[in-house]
Amino acid sequence: MFKRSMLSVTTLLVVMSLALFGAGCVGNNSDDGGEAIMVKGSDTVLPLAQAEAEVFMNENPGKYVSIIGGGSGVGIAALIDGEVDIAMTSRAMKDVEIENAHNNGINPLQHTIAWDGISVIVNPENPISELTFEQIKAIYVGDVSNWNEVGGEDREIVVLSRDSSSGTYEYFKDEVLEGNEFRADALINPSTGSIIQTVMQNKAAIGYAGVAYLGNDVKALAVDAGEGAEEPTAENILSGAYPLARPLYFYTDGEPAGLNLEFIEFISSELGSETVLEVGYFPA
Amino acid sequence: MSRRNNKEKAIEVALLMTSGVTIVALFLLCIFLFREGALLFGDHSLVSFITGTSWYPSSSPAKFGLLPLLAGSLIVTAGAIILSVPLGIAAAIYMAELADPRIAQILKPFVEILAGIPSVVYGFFGLIVVVPLLQDLLSLPTGQTALAGSIMLGMMALPTIISVAEDAINSVPLSLKEGSLALGSTHWQTIYRVILPAALSGISAAVMLGIGRAIGETMTVMMVTGNTAIIPGIPEGLFDPVRTMTATIALEMGEVPQGSEHFHALFAVGAVLFITTFIINLIADSVKKKYRLQEEA
Amino acid sequence: MSKNENIINIKIENLDLWYGEKPALKDISLDIPKNKVTALIGPSGCGKSTFLRCLNRMNDLVKTCRIEGDVLIDEQNIYGKDVDVVDLRKRVGMVFQKPNPFPMSVYDNVAYGPRIHGLSKSEVDERVHKALEDAALMEEVRDRLNDKAFSLSGGQQQRLCIARTLAVRPEIILFDEPCSALDPISTSKIEDLILELKKDYTIVIVTHNMQQAARISDHTAFFLLGELIEFGKTKHIFEDPQVKSTEDYITGRFG
Repeated sequence: MFKRSMLSVTTLLVVMSLALFGAGCVGNNSDDGGEAIMVKGSDTVLPLAQAEAEVFMNENPGKYVSIIGGGSGVGIAALIDGEVDIAMTSRAMKDVEIENAHNNGINPLQHTIAWDGISVIVNPENPISELTFEQIKAIYVGDVSNWNEVGGEDREIVVLSRDSSSGTYEYFKDEVLEGNEFRADALINPSTGSIIQTVMQNKAAIGYAGVAYLGNDVKALAVDAGEGAEEPTAENILSGAYPLARPLYFYTDGEPAGLNLEFIEFISSELGSETVLEVGYFPA
Repeated sequence: MSRRNNKEKAIEVALLMTSGVTIVALFLLCIFLFREGALLFGDHSLVSFITGTSWYPSSSPAKFGLLPLLAGSLIVTAGAIILSVPLGIAAAIYMAELADPRIAQILKPFVEILAGIPSVVYGFFGLIVVVPLLQDLLSLPTGQTALAGSIMLGMMALPTIISVAEDAINSVPLSLKEGSLALGSTHWQTIYRVILPAALSGISAAVMLGIGRAIGETMTVMMVTGNTAIIPGIPEGLFDPVRTMTATIALEMGEVPQGSEHFHALFAVGAVLFITTFIINLIADSVKKKYRLQEEA
Repeated sequence: MSKNENIINIKIENLDLWYGEKPALKDISLDIPKNKVTALIGPSGCGKSTFLRCLNRMNDLVKTCRIEGDVLIDEQNIYGKDVDVVDLRKRVGMVFQKPNPFPMSVYDNVAYGPRIHGLSKSEVDERVHKALEDAALMEEVRDRLNDKAFSLSGGQQQRLCIARTLAVRPEIILFDEPCSALDPISTSKIEDLILELKKDYTIVIVTHNMQQAARISDHTAFFLLGELIEFGKTKHIFEDPQVKSTEDYITGRFG
């Protein structure tokens, strides 16, 4: 009697301690990737990485690639902390981030895996179909607040942005806002999906999103960077005519090997390139 | 005899260790939170954090002002309480006193189901249904406002408030109800003159639980409040986008380099959130105690 | 029986009561006289409390309860179609077995009835003072009117409940074993009170305590298993019972 209850109490304690201490030991970060790798980062790259992972895993049963979004910044931070095998980003790593990585013993190596276009989107019922860079910047910086100031209806503009962990956010800020701050009353959305949803529902809204997210629910504007208004079509992006085209990156710690290398090489294979086009991006 | 004593002792020790682990974990969490937060104040003044009106972590120099975030949390929570408390207490009264027992039996599991819906589902529902509805009904530029947040949080706090308040009302002794009716009072008079005052300690516990749930909610507010870090006016701030403390941490924590100023600033916000919840719990306890003493026979 | 000695206040005719399918009262017929104390005695479960609660329709609170028969108070059937139950209970008050003061002050407890019946502040105040006097409680609570009712002793709380009922100025007061939770001294105080009150009120009291019935009541009804076995002047019931089971109960052959 005594022994049995002692035994069950002790077992309980041992199990609980194991759970407590073992909880941290999840995932593997070996350099050659083993049989499972984790890719984390940009919401823009997310649909592409997910599609590639699915096709890859289909072709290679027994190998697992898991993809997590959250924003380019999130992926980079995870790579610097040594938590993931690959960081996917829609922007280049900043100098301070590279420095932090080196301080942590991580050596970021950049791979361009595809090209993307950033579209500026409005509600399908908005009469505006094109804007210049200056106009978009003015709207986003706070100098213009009504659609009628750019040739549209008399309606207060509802300005949508991503949060600061998004690579798309950083890219937009650099390219269009030329480093200026977003206006204080811009609505911050935690995901690109949320921006699409909001623009769909709101005639006054303006937002930005990777072209892979475009559908019939929103209207993509033609953008004029000084050389004529160009729409974000496949030709315009590939030819470089569309001004908001950017490379999408995978960052690894040093030269990739094992499953990391296999996956990256897969993306530039014929099957991988087909998948890129299917998703709505452009092969590198 | 001494074997039995040893066994008792051993069980006591095991239980002590188990509860010890909980307390130690909580304690360590607190210390970690406050230490990381305090590290902000090496370079940044505490006063400018508490009174600052701008939250611009990525500008140079970075600005870490708490006020818009604190105000955002408070206005959304206040709105949620104003919406859910009267509704919740009314529903509890209905279920406990007025409804046919068969109807009440059906309603109760429904309420419990509502309580179990994950917050991200509420957030999704809020974004797809409530936000455009508010936009159209109130002719707002956008439906992503503090009001949307309040409505969703109110919905989330409601089942908790109803459940706990209903239990409190049901626990009022039948003898009190009979005493009131025997004096020639109507059912309704009995409810608001005797039953509700007698159930006050339980009802205030329900309200406090509801507040606690609302103020700590992250996912839902992130999806429906617009997340603009501007101090809301009162009361027109209800119809403007706001940002809560919880959403700030969730939105920005992912990309912040460990040990940076921004990192510590977010922990400082977390510490403020912790203190706020703590104060609410203290108030809840003292309210409960005050009313329970009044009820003590 | 002279004319003004026994005016009938409550007339019960062929009362049957069921809880669901189970019969609890069988064909009870009884005349309760005005301004007298009528005691209801009998062993546990005999239906006396159930019967008492029919007189102010407290049994309405039990959903499974079904009643047939008439209860006439001053010639009017209280179970009739258009009867206002709230009004009935202003005329027929009740004091319960365990004191049940509200979680309020002494004053507010007694003021409760008058207040809900819409009396003015001064009228309420008058009623409260008179009720406390009539309940023989005023002396003890004069300085404690604003104290919580729970701060009183058990016996005082019960007298407070009586005061509370008196403040409503009913015609009839029903007592459901009012002393069973009290000590002998409080019990005797309440018994004295009841003897005073019968001058102005009709009193029906359920009691487990035969000696109490013998002490304070004018008429006694003996119940057994849901039936009324015998009813008459207390003196006759106790000294010269007509039915054997009455005699057996009185003499303690069963409890």
